[in-house]
Amino acid sequence: MIRLLRVLTPWIILLILASAANAQNLIPLPEFTDHEIRETENPSARAAWREHLDLAALAVGLVLASYFALVKRSRRGLYLLAIASLIWLGFWRQGCVCPIGSIQNVVLALADPEYALPIGVVVLFALPLVFALFVGRTFCAGVCPLGALQELVAVRPIQVPVWLDQTLGLLAYVYLGAAVLFAAMGTAADPIFVICRYDPFVGFFRFGGSANMLLVGGCFLVVGLFVGRPYCRYLCPYGVLLGLLSKLSKWHVRIPPQECVQCRLCEDACPYGAIREPTVNQTAEERVRGRRRLARLIVLLPVLVGVGAWLGHGTGASLSRLDPVVRLADRILLEETGRAEGTSDASDAFRNTGRPIEELYREAFDKTRRFGVAGAWLGAWVGLVIGGKLIYLSVRRRREDYQPDRSNCVACGRCFWYCPNEQARLGLIKGLTPADTAP
Amino acid sequence: MKTRMPVRPTDLVIGVAILLAVVVATVALLRPGTFNDRAPAAPEESSAAAAEQQIDPALICYEQAREIPVAMRKLRALAVGPDNRIYVGGDQVIHVLDSSGAKQSEITLDAPPRCLAVGPADHAFPGRLYVGMDDHVEVYGADGLREATWDALGEQALLTCIALAEEDVFVADAGNRIVLRHDPSGKLKNRIGAPDERRHIPGFAITSAYFDLAVCPDRLLRVVNPRALRIEAYAFDGDLELYWGKPSAKPDGFFGCCNPVHVAVFPDGRFVTAEKGIPRVKIYSPEGEFKCVVAGPDQLAVGSEDVIADMAIDGRGQVLVLAARAGGLQVFRPKQTGNGAKP
Amino acid sequence: MADQHAQKIDRRRFVGNGVRLAGAVGLGGAAGLLAAQRGGPERDVWQIDPDVCIACTNCETHCVLDESAVKAVQCFLMCGYCDVCTGYFPTADFELNTAAENHLCPTGALKRRFIEARAGVRYFEYTIEESECIGCGKCVKGCALMNGSLYLQVRHDRCVNCNECAIAVACPSQAFRRVPASEPNLLKKTARDLMAKRAQDA
Repeated sequence: MIRLLRVLTPWIILLILASAANAQNLIPLPEFTDHEIRETENPSARAAWREHLDLAALAVGLVLASYFALVKRSRRGLYLLAIASLIWLGFWRQGCVCPIGSIQNVVLALADPEYALPIGVVVLFALPLVFALFVGRTFCAGVCPLGALQELVAVRPIQVPVWLDQTLGLLAYVYLGAAVLFAAMGTAADPIFVICRYDPFVGFFRFGGSANMLLVGGCFLVVGLFVGRPYCRYLCPYGVLLGLLSKLSKWHVRIPPQECVQCRLCEDACPYGAIREPTVNQTAEERVRGRRRLARLIVLLPVLVGVGAWLGHGTGASLSRLDPVVRLADRILLEETGRAEGTSDASDAFRNTGRPIEELYREAFDKTRRFGVAGAWLGAWVGLVIGGKLIYLSVRRRREDYQPDRSNCVACGRCFWYCPNEQARLGLIKGLTPADTAP
Repeated sequence: MKTRMPVRPTDLVIGVAILLAVVVATVALLRPGTFNDRAPAAPEESSAAAAEQQIDPALICYEQAREIPVAMRKLRALAVGPDNRIYVGGDQVIHVLDSSGAKQSEITLDAPPRCLAVGPADHAFPGRLYVGMDDHVEVYGADGLREATWDALGEQALLTCIALAEEDVFVADAGNRIVLRHDPSGKLKNRIGAPDERRHIPGFAITSAYFDLAVCPDRLLRVVNPRALRIEAYAFDGDLELYWGKPSAKPDGFFGCCNPVHVAVFPDGRFVTAEKGIPRVKIYSPEGEFKCVVAGPDQLAVGSEDVIADMAIDGRGQVLVLAARAGGLQVFRPKQTGNGAKP
Repeated sequence: MADQHAQKIDRRRFVGNGVRLAGAVGLGGAAGLLAAQRGGPERDVWQIDPDVCIACTNCETHCVLDESAVKAVQCFLMCGYCDVCTGYFPTADFELNTAAENHLCPTGALKRRFIEARAGVRYFEYTIEESECIGCGKCVKGCALMNGSLYLQVRHDRCVNCNECAIAVACPSQAFRRVPASEPNLLKKTARDLMAKRAQDA
């Protein structure tokens, strides 16, 4: 304890000194005979037009991606676009023209009236979603730098078993829920943007960052060599929104240029497991069984939501660990009760403000309580997502052809090449017109 | 339907690679420091700098004898007169205490006093009380009755210290950055310390209401040039004889913007200084050589929002320190015990 | 049968178009409403409130950039032009000259220039050479003992304006906040007061 005091005293003295200097009068400017007092030179912020340029680039990228995917059916075009976007939005703009992260800004703006949401961010958030509503996830195909990076490294993709693919796919929903929760619990001054904090690739775009995060990013890329786009498929929260809207899309990428001949050549073409086979007709017995199961699942849904909410409520305390106020209060409590040695910069800074500790405790307690409520919502959301997924998988849809799954397909255009009709369209199979292959 | 394929070595490699990557990523995510935790910062070398500002207990040659409470809201001035009577000025009053600290009488003033001086035995009027107000000096007899009010020294004037010799009353005017030499009746004899290149007098650099002086046994006037962090010695006629003082956070120097804020002199010529910023009271030899510390931040009842309002020494070699808001004064006496530095 | 099938497809297409239209209008409308209600036309950028900053050195180490976007800044109006600058010199053991061993700044980015001597006091001007500054805040901490004219600021020619600033997350005193891009720098209150007083006097 004495040793501790000895370590601390200089700090205490420094604090006293600093506050003493503030309390006393300023040393006034000397009356110079012929020296002019200089102005502080401050560089100005990035010009607004450059921000507009980024948004324009995003819009052009979306149009081009849609054109390459749906009209030109050019995998090469999409590939080049991906490289271009990786250079512009990735390495040049350092991954921060990012619709994925903009989810949090939008949520924060809804949650905290103090936060002024720049209109540029609104556009950033909404533009790819509107595109998805009409042409599917073309944003993912060649505009998103995170997608582009993973697209480029997916050199030896393996097929992930469907059950695993679907299960891991739920993670993205959970992540979206968590990101929304934390964004809503943060404040304008102290936002908690987990998507940005846990962005595995931004370190590469900047050629630097925390060593651990670079390691995580590296692991994502290693996995990405064999499992196509692991972040997009299993984590990306924006991909969830895009996928949902893409289901409704008016136009969408097709595997064959016109008619499907059901040649099964494209069956394994998709590295992202997004190609759905034609369905086989059910027997009457199967249909009845399917309906029963659906009914059971629909009954199960509220139970899952309820259980999720109950479990989620219990996670409030651990969720609140990410909140700066709660962490500060925790630290102060540890110090006050003698369970932590010394003080941290944060606790020193807090004590220096002269704010009563009780007030901080109250605020932190209130925050933790709100995190409990938020945790319940998150749990309910997870329950809903699991139940919804089960129901979705149990609803039978009729498919006559090989089709991309509209919510999972990222319009990368890899499957085009596998289609004999496409080969014919490109004139690569001589003496054959698309009409010849028509069934 | 697809047929089950035998496991190929490449599949195995891929599987192992994926597994490894997942494990590594998980470990990296869970490692502390991944997300810039607001972890307690390790104390670094600047604490060494702060340590330099601490005072080595071996340098402290005084100890607190007692505290004398004074019932005033804001304390401003302190002086010790004949019989070790203590005069404390503040608010709009001067309390006269006997040597034990018991209040004997009080003198009510029209305005808050800024500084005090009591005629010593060798002064023309022993026991006479000179009170510096903002811009003029008021003179009180030993009986506490006002004898005279000297002329105001102008709008700029801000009196911060009065020092007495046999036939001289020196008044430090921080506002006009000058020392005025009067005779006991208030007649101006001469001005000391105005910038004068011919006499190599630089002038006083003063930035706040701290400008102190003392008459020394060598019949030189010691004046603080606060912004220059030094003590200048002037002959009574205004010639600059010598100066000393060096800037340092260590006890041997003066630290901060403008120090020392108060000075006093022992009969043997040793010099006592009081500083703000790092509140500390120290003793120097007549030549300006650092001797020892009377009291440092840990000994003084000067809070972070407070400063030493005044400092004085009494006939018993004790040092009295008055903090503006501490509600009283501290009396320090030379250490009796063998350890520690000798004053 | 074929007719029915075609009808079904027509109906489906109609419903689908309706949903998409509603979706697009809804999304656009919601975004517009959000922008109108909560939105600012202006972008905002990160900045340090110098009155809250404690110069803890996190700015040097936590920026996503290798060379931090945070640099020390000199507010000349607040500077005392001290001979013995506690931001320039260590508080102990130094000679009053610009030799490297007397620098508190680890990179020598704080420059000292003699201005004039009056009343026994020598006055020096201290400027930051930004290309050499690493944003460690040592001078800021030192200067806080005096006038506190040196303080840390996010330099917008370097800052990439992350959505969640890594230094802000690591800032122990929550000194980071977002400010409008048109007014991207912050002054200490003392400096603001001084400027107001100057303007009034002028």
